Amino acid sequence: MTALSAGDRLARRGGTHVVGDALAMARRNVLRLLRAPDQVMFTLISPIMFTLLFRYVFGGAIGGLHGLDYVTYLIPGIAVQTAIFSAGTTGFALADDIKKGFINRLRSLPMARSAVLTGRVTADSLNNLIQIVILVLVGVAVGFRPQSIPGLILGILLLLLFALSASFVFALVGMSVSSVEAVNAATFPVVFPLTFASSAFVPTQTMPSWLRGFADHQPVSVIINAVRSLVLGDISPSVREALFAGQSTVSLVLQSVAWTAGLILVFGALSVRKYRRLGS
Amino acid sequence: MSAALAVEADGLVKTFGKGDGQVRALDGVSLQVPMGTVLGLLGPNGAGKTTAVNILTTLLKPDAGRAEVVGVDVVKHPARVRNQIGLAGQFAAIDENLTGEENLALVGRLNHLARSDVRARTRSLLSDFGLSDAGGRLAKTYSGGMRRRLDLAAALVARPPVLFLDEPTTGLDPRSRVDLWKVIEDLVADGTSLLLTTQYLEEADRLADRISVVDHGRVIAEGTSAELKSKLGSTVVEARMADEDAAEQAIGALKSIGDHDPARDGVVVRLTASDGPAALSEVVRALDASGLVLAGLQVREPSLDDVFLSLTGHRAEDGQDEEIAAGADERRGGRRSG
Ligand SMILES: Nc1ncnc2c1ncn2[C@@H]1O[C@H](COP(=O)(O)OP(=O)(O)OP(=O)(O)O)[C@@H](O)[C@H]1O
Ligand SMILES: [Mg+2]
Repeated sequence: MTALSAGDRLARRGGTHVVGDALAMARRNVLRLLRAPDQVMFTLISPIMFTLLFRYVFGGAIGGLHGLDYVTYLIPGIAVQTAIFSAGTTGFALADDIKKGFINRLRSLPMARSAVLTGRVTADSLNNLIQIVILVLVGVAVGFRPQSIPGLILGILLLLLFALSASFVFALVGMSVSSVEAVNAATFPVVFPLTFASSAFVPTQTMPSWLRGFADHQPVSVIINAVRSLVLGDISPSVREALFAGQSTVSLVLQSVAWTAGLILVFGALSVRKYRRLGS
Repeated sequence: MSAALAVEADGLVKTFGKGDGQVRALDGVSLQVPMGTVLGLLGPNGAGKTTAVNILTTLLKPDAGRAEVVGVDVVKHPARVRNQIGLAGQFAAIDENLTGEENLALVGRLNHLARSDVRARTRSLLSDFGLSDAGGRLAKTYSGGMRRRLDLAAALVARPPVLFLDEPTTGLDPRSRVDLWKVIEDLVADGTSLLLTTQYLEEADRLADRISVVDHGRVIAEGTSAELKSKLGSTVVEARMADEDAAEQAIGALKSIGDHDPARDGVVVRLTASDGPAALSEVVRALDASGLVLAGLQVREPSLDDVFLSLTGHRAEDGQDEEIAAGADERRGGRRSG
């Protein structure tokens, strides 16, 4: 009965555990993802399917691109949509941990309270990165040609930041509804209007003006345009006028960063508060 | 507060829900667990056992009252309390997509143990709980009993001085139950203080130094097993009648015998008396005089079940009776794992 004999109390490492505990939780979450590759595959199938459908079914009929190849236009849009959907994982996973009672074990431990959330979004960001890289590779295979490689890398970083903000939104949803099905039900009515009424798949010029007003200014379009502008690099003023209302890459990126930072602050704070109140 | 108390709760109140569906899960619960002892929290479904454990382990905040674990207030300093406790909740809180070993290692890391301690504890706990061979397998492949054992092992990783076990043996087969009792007895022998909830009288009788009987969010009796039994008189006389009608009539006939009024449980009429053999012959005479025919008659030591029946008017292990006694509307709002 070695383990059960009281012996000496075990020493605990002192200091702050904000980072260490987050890493321990992130590791656990990544392990879970690796063990459910079907889940990762499933979240990848829809962006790849979207890419192929839009590229080959609608691609020929979509105009107003001012000589741009449609796949090159399309991939940033699909990438943002992918980032939003895979941020849904954050909500599913938290809802699952709550429902299965695992969160109770965590809440009874002397771990850093932030680590459940930070460990979650760290693992989900990693998952996001892999998904985006795969999407880019699939895109390249069907004709996606980023004009600027540094722009592509910056674009991916911007996407990750945006995915992080979306993760906090879904974290709040996941902890509020505590059922995986409900997170799912909450995802689609939000994600589809935001991604379709945007510049993701087609330029907004042909939309009716009331819709265009929304589509041009909502955050998903702002992010897509920033990523697209980074990926396209130098483009002629007339194309820039048509696609981005003449806004420069720097201006688009700054707007995106402002949106994501705002979302992270607001939903990060709400999520942390929600987590603290789980037991009240 | 006395430093010799591992757990002390004073007037805990917890209400769930609002308006009509409101449930008062705890209605002023006070309890004490002296250092190095075992308190059994005994009560039927919905009594409030899990709610009490959740408050004491900082998972829930009480609406009123206060509680301390090794002298630390659970509401004011939850982080310090978590350094002192281990919890195995009513439903196993393990990650099914991790192996047994990874589950324990994660808990070790989150307890901030040194890496070498994490490894050593994981290995020896797996072996002590008979999980060495299964340690490398995903927990979702475990049987119910193995999950429970892994969950209990997870509660012990940091060698907490105070342990909370919420119905640790519910759902285990009789052999696993006895094995787990032995494990718990070893822990207590080594100085761990324990608060244990159970619906099983036998379990409380065997493991607990003191027992608090809870029902409808209140502690309705408290004492050692022997004290609770002696409250009833030293012996129980049970007269088995032919049918329920006869049993009902027998209650009337036996009113003047024994320490309390006799109680009926189906066709059995039960009464307690300080002098069993004398009561036995009185029972025979009284029934004879009323023309009632006995189907059976016995004298025995009182069990905790008798204590429960006399305190609450229903049996501890019979969920059906409890359901009726509690009233269906009192339990609206559902239950969540916790
Ligand atoms: N989260 C909750 N929301 C609403 N009601 C709750 C919640 N948790 C518990 N209750 C109610 O509080 C009462 C006490 O529940 P509790 O789980 O503490 O009982 P218990 O003694 O542990 O029962 P059991 O033996 O079935 O586990 C019950 O009526 C239950 O329905
Ligand atoms: Mg319970």
